Amino acid sequence: MLSYIVRRLFISVFSLFGASVIAFTLTRIIPSDPAAMWMGPHATVEQIERAYIDLGLDKPIPVQYAFYMSKFLHGDWGISIVTKQPVLRDLATYLPASIELIVFGMLVGFAVGIPLGILSAAKSGRGVDHISRVFAIAGVALPSFWLAMLLQLVLGKALSLFPLIGRVDLLVEIMNPIRRITRLYMFDALITGNFAALKDALWHIVLPGVTLAMYPLGLATRMVRTTMLEVLREDYIRTARAFGAREVKVLAVYALRNALAPVLTVGALTFGYSLVSTFLIESLFAWPGLGRYAAKAIVSVDYPAIMGVTLLVAVFYVTLNLGVDLIQAVMDPRIRLS
Amino acid sequence: MRRRLRDAARRAKRNPLTVTGLSLVALFLLIAILAPWIAPYPRDTLAVHPDERFSPPSTKHWFGTDELGRDIFSRVIFGTRISLRIGTIVVALALAIGIPLGIIAGTFGGLLDEVLMRVTDIFLSFPPLLLAMAISATLGPSLENAMIAIAIAWWPWYARLIRSEALSIRERDYVEAARAAGARWGRLLFRHVLPNSLAPVIVQASMDFGSVIITSASLSFLGLGAQPPTPEWGLMINIGRNFFLTHWWIVTFPGLAILIAVLSFNITGDGLREILDPKAERR
Amino acid sequence: MKEGISALLFKIGLTSLFLVFAVFTLSIVVTGQELQVAVHLQGAEVVPYWDPSDGASGEIGLMNNLYEALLRYNAVTNTFTPILATSYEQSEDAKTWTFKLRKGVKFHTGNTMDARAVKASIDRTIERDRGSAYIWSPVDSIEVVDDYTVRFHLRQSAPLDLIAAAGYCAYIFDPEYSDHDWFNAGNDSGTGPYTVESSEGSEKVITKKFDDYWGGWEGKHFDRVVFLSVSEASTRRLMLETGKADFCEQLPPTDIDALKGNPAVRVEVNPSFQNLMVLYNNQRAPLDNKLVRRAMSYLIPYEDTVAVALGGHGHVSRGVIPYGLWGYSDRVETFTDSPTVAKALLAQAGYPDGGFKLLLTYPAGYEDIRMTVELWKAACAELNITLDTRAMPTAERNAIARSPDPEKRQDIYLLYWWPDYANPDSFLSGMFYTQERPAYNLGYYSNPVFDALIDYVVTLPTGSQEAIDMMVELQNILQQDAAGIAVWDMQYRRAISASLKGYVDNAAYPNVAFWYNCYRE
Repeated sequence: MLSYIVRRLFISVFSLFGASVIAFTLTRIIPSDPAAMWMGPHATVEQIERAYIDLGLDKPIPVQYAFYMSKFLHGDWGISIVTKQPVLRDLATYLPASIELIVFGMLVGFAVGIPLGILSAAKSGRGVDHISRVFAIAGVALPSFWLAMLLQLVLGKALSLFPLIGRVDLLVEIMNPIRRITRLYMFDALITGNFAALKDALWHIVLPGVTLAMYPLGLATRMVRTTMLEVLREDYIRTARAFGAREVKVLAVYALRNALAPVLTVGALTFGYSLVSTFLIESLFAWPGLGRYAAKAIVSVDYPAIMGVTLLVAVFYVTLNLGVDLIQAVMDPRIRLS
Repeated sequence: MRRRLRDAARRAKRNPLTVTGLSLVALFLLIAILAPWIAPYPRDTLAVHPDERFSPPSTKHWFGTDELGRDIFSRVIFGTRISLRIGTIVVALALAIGIPLGIIAGTFGGLLDEVLMRVTDIFLSFPPLLLAMAISATLGPSLENAMIAIAIAWWPWYARLIRSEALSIRERDYVEAARAAGARWGRLLFRHVLPNSLAPVIVQASMDFGSVIITSASLSFLGLGAQPPTPEWGLMINIGRNFFLTHWWIVTFPGLAILIAVLSFNITGDGLREILDPKAERR
Repeated sequence: MKEGISALLFKIGLTSLFLVFAVFTLSIVVTGQELQVAVHLQGAEVVPYWDPSDGASGEIGLMNNLYEALLRYNAVTNTFTPILATSYEQSEDAKTWTFKLRKGVKFHTGNTMDARAVKASIDRTIERDRGSAYIWSPVDSIEVVDDYTVRFHLRQSAPLDLIAAAGYCAYIFDPEYSDHDWFNAGNDSGTGPYTVESSEGSEKVITKKFDDYWGGWEGKHFDRVVFLSVSEASTRRLMLETGKADFCEQLPPTDIDALKGNPAVRVEVNPSFQNLMVLYNNQRAPLDNKLVRRAMSYLIPYEDTVAVALGGHGHVSRGVIPYGLWGYSDRVETFTDSPTVAKALLAQAGYPDGGFKLLLTYPAGYEDIRMTVELWKAACAELNITLDTRAMPTAERNAIARSPDPEKRQDIYLLYWWPDYANPDSFLSGMFYTQERPAYNLGYYSNPVFDALIDYVVTLPTGSQEAIDMMVELQNILQQDAAGIAVWDMQYRRAISASLKGYVDNAAYPNVAFWYNCYRE
């Protein structure tokens, strides 16, 4: 086990290194003018030339990469050309918002998807099964930005049930400011007893969270269903039933335990994927998350920010995958760690 | 092989989901092919009619007109061509890169396998959208470049998938037997490993059709894919979102088109999985 | 069996509902009735630049409430309001300007503003040389005459009052608190009526009123002003309609028209000095041929673009200087939408059936420019000319446009232009003066006669008849050569909450609301 972990860690570091090289090269190849961006819209040629040298852009690419990595490893992730802030500070500002949204979305998605999958497997082949299967596929197929607009229009404007944008109401933020501990608004509000802000933050996360939840919902339903079907055919289930175990116990205890494994894998992948792919949802709901920051960075060729986001997300990805693999190995000794 | 196909066809006919999915896909294909004849205003892929802008759905314009007076119904129909083209090219490209690499790695193992695994590891540690965005931005904003970008981000999945299939097949008895009988690797690859590994890849690819369409729509949202006035569904939604409060139809119909298209591909893929490998409901 | 699963799921569902309900009952929301809060919405980033010496874009709305300049210019009445300077006088040759400063003005840091602070601020801006700092280029030196008198010595005559009243880079700040990183951490050291309370990234800034503001706080004012960046226009509109925002600086024409009937919202369409410019690549075929350029200019459906892209809120341009700015004149020739003339010109140039392709780049994310481009593209297609149109982010567009390899450059470059301070020659010199290494002369136009005239006109007194005549002549040179043309002069479409009073639009400060003057009723 230990050797497995060590080996995986080693490979992960290698992957991260490779990812950094690719990202860096890409940002340098994209035709752009970071010096001009740095100086602003009406800059003169002299100003731009000066910025070019100041930013170290006149050096060859491998040298630039070396400079970047050495600073990076010392904790200096560069200054964003767009926001003029240290990239680390930007990431610290936007990452918690993304985490909060994605976790909420995934929880909702799983909370609905897993029971649905169980139901679907239990009633396999019947009406309920077909409907939930289509529903699951629809969840994955739905263009999220389209759903977001629909929800804003119907639930936000027409019915005025939920707020349109942002993480928290401006008035609430001014009157009941949330102490910034983790910058996960709901968590911070909870532990500081700021219930007004907690309710408000909850209200704000519903629309974007539900939009986000559709994908994990669909995925979870499908995966739980297929795994449960497989497991339900196994001998030990038949034995348990023969011994008179109640159906609920059979499903919940034996089958579900085995069905959770693929869901975990999916969860980890979805999380990493969502960190960036939610930029559409974040734009529409003015949710200050990482996706929006990344999209803007790419479009403006803000290479320090692009590198920062890429490496951060890569770290998440790799760590989550490793974690999930380990958990699976612990939960099911039949799985060979190879 | 032939027997398996016959079995598959028989199972397909009995599976309602697959039948639905395939019919919808066939419908889309038909629409795409017959587009210039079905669309009531075929010139509206480029022509503008400022006087008729923002007309709501009516008998003259079934889906209404957009901000430049173009008929949305016709544009959605032409968009079918574009979406199918995107899906086909991207998936084909990704398969063309991924399958050879993956199958060689899986069959021969050793150093080749290690190298492939590391390379795909690197690619897989990127969120695919990020990679597609970056490549798209590098190559310049256009539909062709967006397709290349997405294909480059997508191939590692196929390579990995077919590699793990190839690995498990390599251990099977009949392969061992063939090797014992003196068969060379090349022959083994083509006659045994490859045909038996394809099933999950086919399933994945058919489902990915839909994801590719959505990814390219996301790229259009950022201005990195198709350029106006191309009637690509994602682009239409992107532009339409500026008006959807007052003119809801500009966004709704292309969105429905994407939804139904992706739905049909996913249902087909799901059904295909059931048919091709009823026991391997592993994912 | 059925009861088992369903019952379990039902129980789980009920429990979660109960938990959610519990959270709600525990919460009490304090209504902010004692506090007057205003919300200022914009599409662009609120603070791309925190440093007051560096500004050049979207932060103008925020900065003009945190910081102040010596004077404020009213574009409509062409008068100046004394802000940090109470009076000023200029020498006859307009090369020496003396400003008397207001006494008792405090910075947000607690220090007092005096002549030394003014000199230090402007010196720093000049030295940093970022963004719009070039407006101070005529200044040779700044002299501190006494604690409350500052004298500017210029190299050449220039309208220093206009410069000192600029919307960017003319702010006075506390020189003791002027570290760049300190600014970037979200701090400000201005004299303005509001100061930063908190900020989140560059999208949201909450400001609170500065109690020691020299103007005092009698009467009705806002206690807090929140600056928020929301990129989706539809969301901005929804926020206005639902009372969540007070001021939205720019909304697309469709939303503006839709809001006209809404009693909760007041719509204003105000003049601006912003226009859409088309720059032809003067150095590469086929556009190096004047006839082709003129032909292309006759293909733009001008009236349609104003009607469709601007929703009618704007004017077809007449020359590169926009409507409302001095130098604009109906003596300047224009092109009209005439495909037949275009066809004749093309035949004359050797392209009787069109048949060429042009690469056109335009800024991504602006609906009005996009619609204009699409209309032009359709018109060109009628004559068998293909416009390969690409919406690109600024960074990439400019990399292509400024590429040292002329082959890589575009054929047509579109951009908005607006002056950094209310002076028309920015339109002429910024985009058409010969530039060896192009900054914004991205049509690569080079005309020594034109250059010489520009050098001359900047020495003339602002707004004088001779200067106006020169401006007309310069614009006509450009029109003759069709070096680059302006398509439309836009108006600013604003939507304001009906309960907001005191807002007065000022074209010299695009998209700025001076919140000190505003209140809710």
